[in-house]
Amino acid sequence: MTALRFLEQPPRFLFFTGKGGVGKTSVACATAIMLTTVGRRVLLVSTDPASNVGQVFGVPIGNQITLISAVPNLSALEIDPQAAAQSYRDRIVGPIRGILPEAVVKSIEEQLSGACTTEIAAFDEFTSLLIDSPLTADYEHIIFDTAPTGHTIRLLQLPGAWSHFLEEGKGDASCLGPLAGLEKQRSQYKAAVDALANPLRSRLVLVARAQQATLREVARTHEELASIGLSQQYLVINGIFPEEDVAHDRLATAIFTREQNAMATMSKVLKSLPCDRIELKPFNLVGLDALRKLFTPVLSTHSATDTSTSAIETPSLSKLVDEIAKDQKGLVMLMGKGGVGKTTLAATVAVELALRGLSVHLTTSDPAAHLSDTLQGALANLTVSRIDPQAETERYRETILATKGAQLDAQGRALLEEDLRSPCTEEIAVFQAFSRVIREAGHKFVVMDTAPTGHTLLLLDATGAYHREVSRQMAGSEVHFLTPMMQLQDPKQTKVLLVTLAETTPVLEAANLQADLRRAGIEPWAWVINNSVAAATVHSPLLRQRAENELQKIEAVATVHSKRYAVVPLLENEPIGLERLHELANN
Amino acid sequence: MTIIQVFDPALCCSTGVCGVDVDQQLVGFSADIDWAKQKGAQIERFNLAQQPMEFAQNTIVKAYLERSGVEALPLILVDGEVALAGRYPSRAELSRWADLVISEEKPKSGCCDGNSSCS
Repeated sequence: MTALRFLEQPPRFLFFTGKGGVGKTSVACATAIMLTTVGRRVLLVSTDPASNVGQVFGVPIGNQITLISAVPNLSALEIDPQAAAQSYRDRIVGPIRGILPEAVVKSIEEQLSGACTTEIAAFDEFTSLLIDSPLTADYEHIIFDTAPTGHTIRLLQLPGAWSHFLEEGKGDASCLGPLAGLEKQRSQYKAAVDALANPLRSRLVLVARAQQATLREVARTHEELASIGLSQQYLVINGIFPEEDVAHDRLATAIFTREQNAMATMSKVLKSLPCDRIELKPFNLVGLDALRKLFTPVLSTHSATDTSTSAIETPSLSKLVDEIAKDQKGLVMLMGKGGVGKTTLAATVAVELALRGLSVHLTTSDPAAHLSDTLQGALANLTVSRIDPQAETERYRETILATKGAQLDAQGRALLEEDLRSPCTEEIAVFQAFSRVIREAGHKFVVMDTAPTGHTLLLLDATGAYHREVSRQMAGSEVHFLTPMMQLQDPKQTKVLLVTLAETTPVLEAANLQADLRRAGIEPWAWVINNSVAAATVHSPLLRQRAENELQKIEAVATVHSKRYAVVPLLENEPIGLERLHELANN
Repeated sequence: MTIIQVFDPALCCSTGVCGVDVDQQLVGFSADIDWAKQKGAQIERFNLAQQPMEFAQNTIVKAYLERSGVEALPLILVDGEVALAGRYPSRAELSRWADLVISEEKPKSGCCDGNSSCS
């Protein structure tokens, strides 16, 4: 076994972070297994609202520490924000059920069903694992398979922001929702922040793929996290195409060269980090056997015969765009697990609509997405924007101070300003920006590259809460009203494209997301399978094996999951720039 | 000393800034409470969404909720008796209950405006 640097003398807390789809969960799970084989007791924790750790081990886990019987010494926990919020609601509401009238109980539950309660309840559980407690005392290592980048950064920044918020003492602590009245939490947050910043106790492992955009993003994450005190960082580049498998294959050669180039040109800061490289495997990383083999190089499956696999016939993204274009206007949302290529495909759909002469606004609510990096050019009828949570929060605060705070004296204004620093305002501010975008789709096309799954769902939840609020206020009146949620539910106004890869986990996650959306009354309009090797002609043995693995998944999407679908092939060149995006839709 | 107790409906927080829309009344009232507290008034505020037990354990508040429902909140008790229901008090009302002198800062130009003496 090759010695991996991020596994040398591991401290108690190990955090894995990185853009979705880079293989964080696989690397975190493989690390956990690895540590148990040298006799350590390990707790594996997922803080991703769309966690699939349970699926990896083939056991339901959930909000309780669960023993993984197949791996001695390993336990796992999925911090599920919804369940955490539910148990918080039960704690508050339980004692008064049957004592206060039912309508009163309902009004409390409604108030406690917002996105903020959810976020804070999950965060509270997260910090409880970082402090000394009998619950975790048994474990020599606690491994966090963290949520995708943008969300992680927010989560990790919160301890600092919140202890600050509480220390000021001026702000209304009730703005902390579930933590209200629990100023004793302050010591917990202080301890959590200290644990995070101490290199003897915490190690942060940045997981990336050998792609320029991903490595740029990792460099940003590195700096952001270093600035909040997480200085000891390691880099793992996962899924690198092995040289011996290139085998005169044009696509394989292109991928190999592209990846080597991306690693050679990555920023100085990244090059200075201790780095490990893990090769791409011909198999899907599902199940214990596959995970045990992740850190071991696989012997190449060289075959003497020079065969190749031809690209399969599949519907193109361009065909879907033709159909979308017929409506002349509307909201197109790309959803899916992080890292499946939502940003690229959102840009492609926007470019294709613009090339058809339609007016298009392309926007993102993913804090980590960079649309200009993807487009690298301009089209006359295409505008690009970004919902930046920080900027939106600032704007929201200013608006509230200028309107609702206009009549206050200096002291009252100072109080309102303090309250507006509550972490909850960000969620509201982003939601309002989101609502503006939805309104704009009434007269043109708005293509939205949404944030990763979990965060998107929190946003939709905020939309739902608003809808219930307005409906209640409007009940009985004849006034016609239209909430953002109603617009999202109307297929004439909103088309949701679910983006996935033709691999086990991404397809399953997209199917779960589809079920969640249906529960919210939103019917996904189409599925798009991205980066398909089967839709390309290949003869590298490794790629042929992967293409072969894909066929069954594509079949399942076409026949079971979707009403309509498209397949976008893996290209020789990274899909950056208007021309290549156009090529992507029409291959 | 007089104790003023405010029983709020289910709020995300007492200024309402965490909600989907900010209620002007709440912003103003929070400022008024802060002002009155600085002047020495003793005021407690209970949020139905966070401290429902306070509502359940107070017989007056519980009976009020049973009769009139959550729509009829807020309810304000002064020394345990109902002082106001269904709306938030003004700064003047708070002052009266807590025996505060409302205006000690006089406009520089003028003289007294009625009931307080010029000093």
